[in-house]
Amino acid sequence: MRRLIGSLLIISFLFFTGSYSYSAEKPITIGAPLATAFLYGWVAERGIKLAVEEINAKGGVNVAGKKRSFKVEVIDTRDLEPGVPVSEALLAVEKLILEKKADFLIGGPVRSEAALAAMDIVSKYKKISIITTGVLTPLLTQKVVENYDKYKYTFRNTNHVGNMMKEFITFLDEIQKPFGFKSAYIMVQDVEHARRGGEVMKKALSEKGWEVIDMKIYPTGTTDYSVGLADAKNKGADILFLWMDMPESAILLKQWSDLKMKALPIGFVCAAEQPGFWKATGGKGEYLIVNVVNGGNAPGNITPWTIKFVDAYKKRWGLEPEGYGTSSSYMAVYQLKEAIEKAGSIDSEKVVTALEDLDMVGVYGRMKFDNKSHQIIPSFNPKEGAVTCIFQWQAGNRVQVFPSTVAQGKVMLPPWVKR
Amino acid sequence: MHILVYGVINSITLSLISLGFALVYSISRVPNFAHGALYITTGYIVWLFINKITGFPYLLAIILGISISGIIGALIYRLILIRIRGMEISEIIATYAIGVAILEGLRWGGLRGMTFTLPVFISGSTEILGVTVDFQRIVVVVCGALTFLFLYFFTHHTRVGLALRGIAQDERAAMMLGIDSDLTAILSLAIGSALAGFAALLLLPLGNIIVEAGYSVLIFAVAVCVIGGLGSLLGTVIASFIIGFAQILTDKYLSTHYQMVVALLAIIITLIVKPSGLFGKQKELEERV
Repeated sequence: MRRLIGSLLIISFLFFTGSYSYSAEKPITIGAPLATAFLYGWVAERGIKLAVEEINAKGGVNVAGKKRSFKVEVIDTRDLEPGVPVSEALLAVEKLILEKKADFLIGGPVRSEAALAAMDIVSKYKKISIITTGVLTPLLTQKVVENYDKYKYTFRNTNHVGNMMKEFITFLDEIQKPFGFKSAYIMVQDVEHARRGGEVMKKALSEKGWEVIDMKIYPTGTTDYSVGLADAKNKGADILFLWMDMPESAILLKQWSDLKMKALPIGFVCAAEQPGFWKATGGKGEYLIVNVVNGGNAPGNITPWTIKFVDAYKKRWGLEPEGYGTSSSYMAVYQLKEAIEKAGSIDSEKVVTALEDLDMVGVYGRMKFDNKSHQIIPSFNPKEGAVTCIFQWQAGNRVQVFPSTVAQGKVMLPPWVKR
Repeated sequence: MHILVYGVINSITLSLISLGFALVYSISRVPNFAHGALYITTGYIVWLFINKITGFPYLLAIILGISISGIIGALIYRLILIRIRGMEISEIIATYAIGVAILEGLRWGGLRGMTFTLPVFISGSTEILGVTVDFQRIVVVVCGALTFLFLYFFTHHTRVGLALRGIAQDERAAMMLGIDSDLTAILSLAIGSALAGFAALLLLPLGNIIVEAGYSVLIFAVAVCVIGGLGSLLGTVIASFIIGFAQILTDKYLSTHYQMVVALLAIIITLIVKPSGLFGKQKELEERV
C-alpha cells in the first residue's frame, strides 16, 4: 500500500512539474481590436479564437525550442457604429498594448479611417498588426510603401478596393458575352469606401464598353429603394452593381425580387454574406451575387485547408463561415505562428522580417506578403496568391462562381429573365 | 405615377412610426425618447415567439408583442417617469436613457447581424396605377389609414379618449372633474408604446430587425412631430406627407443622397418660421409673447 501511495505521489509530482514547465512559459498575447457587435467584428473574433484553440491544442508555438501558448484579448472598438469617433478605436488599440500587454495585434480596427489612424500607435509601440477585416482602403498598405521604416509593423492579409474592382471587372467580362449584358445601374451607400468603389466601377465599366445608366448614392439607413429600382427597370439595366454595408440593403433585395427585375444584382453587400440571409429574406435574395473578399468566407474548395477550415468552423460555432473577415482572421494567427517559429523570437523586428519571408498555403491559396507594401498578394489562381470568393445565392446555398479556377458552380439567371 | 404611389406609401410609413410618439406627448406632455427602442423590442419579441417556440401562431405572437410593448410603456411611466413628471429635461434624459439601455441591452443579448426578420402578412406584388407594389406595403397603407381613423374615433367618441383629451387640453380642470392625471399618463404611454409596436410589426417585415433602426425611427418620429407640431395628431399626419413626398421627389429629381438633407431642412425652416410646428397650438401664445 505504501509503495502504491509512494508511486502515485511520484507520478503526481512528475505530472505537475511537467505540466508546470509547459504552462510556466508566458503565453503570447494576441490583442484583437474589433467592432464585436457587427458581422466583420464577431466573425474575426471567432476566426482568431478557432485558430488559437487549434494551435494551443497541438502544444502551442515553438519559440526557440520552448512551447508557448497563444492567449486572445478582445476589446470592442465600436468603430462600425454610426457616430462613434475614431478616437474610441484608438483608445482600444492603446489599451490592448498597454493594459492587456498584447504582443501582437490581429483583426482591426475595422473601419478604414480608424485603422489608418491606428498605424501611428502601432509604430509608436513597435507592435506588429495584421489587419484582417473591414479595412478596404488601398491607403493602408500605400502608407507602408511611402514610409516603410515607420509603418513596417502593419500587414494586411485580406484584399482592398482596388483589387476587388479588378475581380469584379474580370468577373463581369466573363459573364458579359454568354448573357449579352450591356448596361449597368450602380447603387452605393453614402460612405467613403462605397462611393469610391462606385466611382471606380463606373469608370472601369465605361472603359470596357458598358453603358452605365446612372449611379445612385443612398444615405445609411435608407429603407426604400423603389425610385432607383424602378428607374433601372424602366431603362432596361442588365446588372445592378451594389456596394453597401448597411443592414437595410436587405430591403433593396426584397424590393428587387418583388419588382421581378431583369437586372442581375452583383456587388459587395454585407447583409447578404451571412448563411442565414436567404432564409431571412424568405428566398428573395436568390440569384444575388456577392463578393466576400477572401475564399473560405463561404464554403469552397480552394485548397485542402479550405474544407478543413469550413468543417472546423461549423463544429466550433455551429454554422458555416459567416462572411468577410472569417478566414483571413483565422489565417493571420497561423501566419503569425509560422513567423514567430521562423524568427525564434517574438521580437517585432525579427517577426516583421519573418512575415516578409513567409510563403505558405492557407485557406484561400498561397499566402505571401508583398515585401514593400505588406499587402497579401492576390491572384485568381490559389497556387500563385490569395484567392477571392464571389458567390451566388442558389437554392439557399452560397455557391462560389468566381474565380473559375476554384468555382463550384455557374452563374444562374432568375426564371423571369429570358436571354 | 410612381411618385404618387410611393409618396403615399412613404408618407403613411412615416406617420405610422410617429403617431405613438405624438399621442404620448399630446396627452401626457412626456417626450418618449424610448419610442424607437420599443419599436425594435416588439419586433424582437415577436421574432422570439415565432422562431424559438415551434408552431407558435404568428397572429398570437403579434397580439402578445403589441400587448407587451404597451405594458412596458405603462411600466416606464409607473416606475420611473411618475417621479420626475413635469421636469421636462429630466423626462427627456430618463426616456432617452431607457431607450439606449433597451437597445444596447438587446444588442448585448444577441440581437446582432442582419438575419432577424419577420414574415410578411401577404407575399407577392401587384400593380397600382401601373406601378409594381408588394402586398405588404399595401397592408401598411391600409393599416396606417385605419390607425388614424381609430385614434380619431377613440379620442373623440369614447369616454377614455375624451378623458385623455381633457387632460391634454387643461390638466387642472380635468383633474377637478375627477380625471386621474397619472392614470391617463400611464394609459397614454401604454397606447403610444403599443402603437410603436404595431408600426414595427407592419414595417419590419419589409426589412430586418436591427438595433440601429431604433435610433433612426426615433429621429424620424421627432422630425415629423416637430414639423407637424408637437402634440397634434393631424399635424403629425400632414408633416408625414410633407416629408414623405419631399423625400420621393428628392430621390427622383435631385439625388437620393439629399433625402436626409431635405428632411432636416424642413425641420430648420419650420423652427425658424413657426417654432411650434404647423399645428402646434399650445405654444402659439408663448411665441407671440
